[in-house]
Amino acid sequence: MKRRFGGMILDCAFRIMIPFMVLYGLYVLLHGEHTPGGGFQAGGMIAIAIVCVRLILGTQSNLRDLGAKAALWAGVGTFIYLLTGLVCVLRGGNFLEYEYLPFFFQEAAQYHKAGIMLIETGVTVCVAATIVNILDAVIERVDEDDSDD
Amino acid sequence: MQILMVEGVFLILLIVITLSIILNRDLLATVVMFCAFSFCASLLYLIMGAPDVAFTEAVIGVVSTVFFVILLRSVDRWCKK
Repeated sequence: MKRRFGGMILDCAFRIMIPFMVLYGLYVLLHGEHTPGGGFQAGGMIAIAIVCVRLILGTQSNLRDLGAKAALWAGVGTFIYLLTGLVCVLRGGNFLEYEYLPFFFQEAAQYHKAGIMLIETGVTVCVAATIVNILDAVIERVDEDDSDD
Repeated sequence: MQILMVEGVFLILLIVITLSIILNRDLLATVVMFCAFSFCASLLYLIMGAPDVAFTEAVIGVVSTVFFVILLRSVDRWCKK
């Protein structure tokens, strides 16, 4: 969107709400073992916060350059997932066999928690970046159609 | 028994919303009704004991509704007869 979407009220309201949206996304990610939620939902929450910022502020937003790098960040998320699996393979285990991760824990359950947290972080980054990438494609299409009129 | 009645109410709501989506000619109203469909489906998943699926449905419903509303700028709002 070249034009900004909101007026003063939307602007002020979302300045208060967006930090809480990002914080709730991080809570869903980090607390996902005990409660419903996980990497996909956390990525969706964080992506909704970024989408709201870009719609309301338009080109004045500080996040407008994120669209060009969103595909890169999606790759980074996939790389975190793959790296977690490949480190286990290089240290002598199977793919994603968390007991072979290079940590110094006593129990196998702690290895499982750390490994699952790593791959969930990768999924979160990948999902959020992919949704921002789709938003960027949509906005580019709409701006093209606007300039034709 | 009460939970079955609530389930029945949500299922009937889903059917009514679907019919209104099919019969409507205003695309913005269709998108808003699609958001309502997503909300009812999410509550139905919650009642049936799948909070994880309900959470995913809520998030994806919001994201897809926002995308459809943005894309309405490049198509006509009213369908031709």
